[in-house]
Amino acid sequence: MSEDRLWKFNKPAWLNSVWARNAGVYAAGGLFSLAFYTLLDSAVWSKSARNASSLHVTFLDWLPFVFSSLGMLIINSVEKQRLAADSFSYSGSGVAWKARVVLFLGFAALAGGMAGGVTVFVLRFVVPGVAWPAMGMGVENVVANALVGLSSVVLWVSQNMEDEYSYNLAL
Amino acid sequence: MPAAGLKTIIALSFVLAVGFLLVILSCALWHAYYPLLVVGTYVLAPVPNWICSHCANPDDFVESSGAAVLDLGRFCTGFLVVMGVALPVLLAHSGLISIPAMAMSVVGGLLIYGTIISFAMFFQEEQEF
Repeated sequence: MSEDRLWKFNKPAWLNSVWARNAGVYAAGGLFSLAFYTLLDSAVWSKSARNASSLHVTFLDWLPFVFSSLGMLIINSVEKQRLAADSFSYSGSGVAWKARVVLFLGFAALAGGMAGGVTVFVLRFVVPGVAWPAMGMGVENVVANALVGLSSVVLWVSQNMEDEYSYNLAL
Repeated sequence: MPAAGLKTIIALSFVLAVGFLLVILSCALWHAYYPLLVVGTYVLAPVPNWICSHCANPDDFVESSGAAVLDLGRFCTGFLVVMGVALPVLLAHSGLISIPAMAMSVVGGLLIYGTIISFAMFFQEEQEF
């Protein structure tokens, strides 16, 4: 097992435990929840009495989050083991190729959502020069999309831990 | 696993009652009944884990489809647990409830969820063999 290792440093042993993997999945759910409620907070705040400005959250502000979540759903629905094209058993009918195309679409949707969040922030909040309490709505949009990206990274890493774990179990 | 006796049951039910008291007080003192949603959130939080653990066979490591369903349940549980904290903060930020009501409902919700989790930990049937 140690001959085909690429990196100099070992992963710490506790990273391969079931406990760390489950904690990663729980943390991914928590981060996604944080992202959703950050955006919902901006929407509720824009309707509440504290919003003195004439700026309101519309469907346009939700659109980057929709794309980020769609990208996260696509990325984490793909079976990771099908990506390894050098395992001959699965690359027969071009499954690895299909998996790469689908993953590319997923990452494009995720990155597009994050870029869209920044776009909404710049075009609707920075360029017109919105004052601060209302500016928070734009900042929350960027933060929400960044949290979706962080959540999908955590979920991806902890799902890859699972493969290592089952491999160790098989040995 | 420590032996769960009568004292554990009494302590857990006491903590559960304090949690419900805090949440209901946070609603009734300010006549804004939004924090009651926290109770529903924390009662629903273990449900996805429970459903998905019945749908999947966790000993099945060859086909990883079973583990994927378990992961979905854990993801939803994590979502609901953080929602229980995020919802009062959201309501307080928009001025729908006051800041003390937010604090009381967060603490009460965490007490309720802690009771549910520790009850499940103390009284689960011994599955090791």
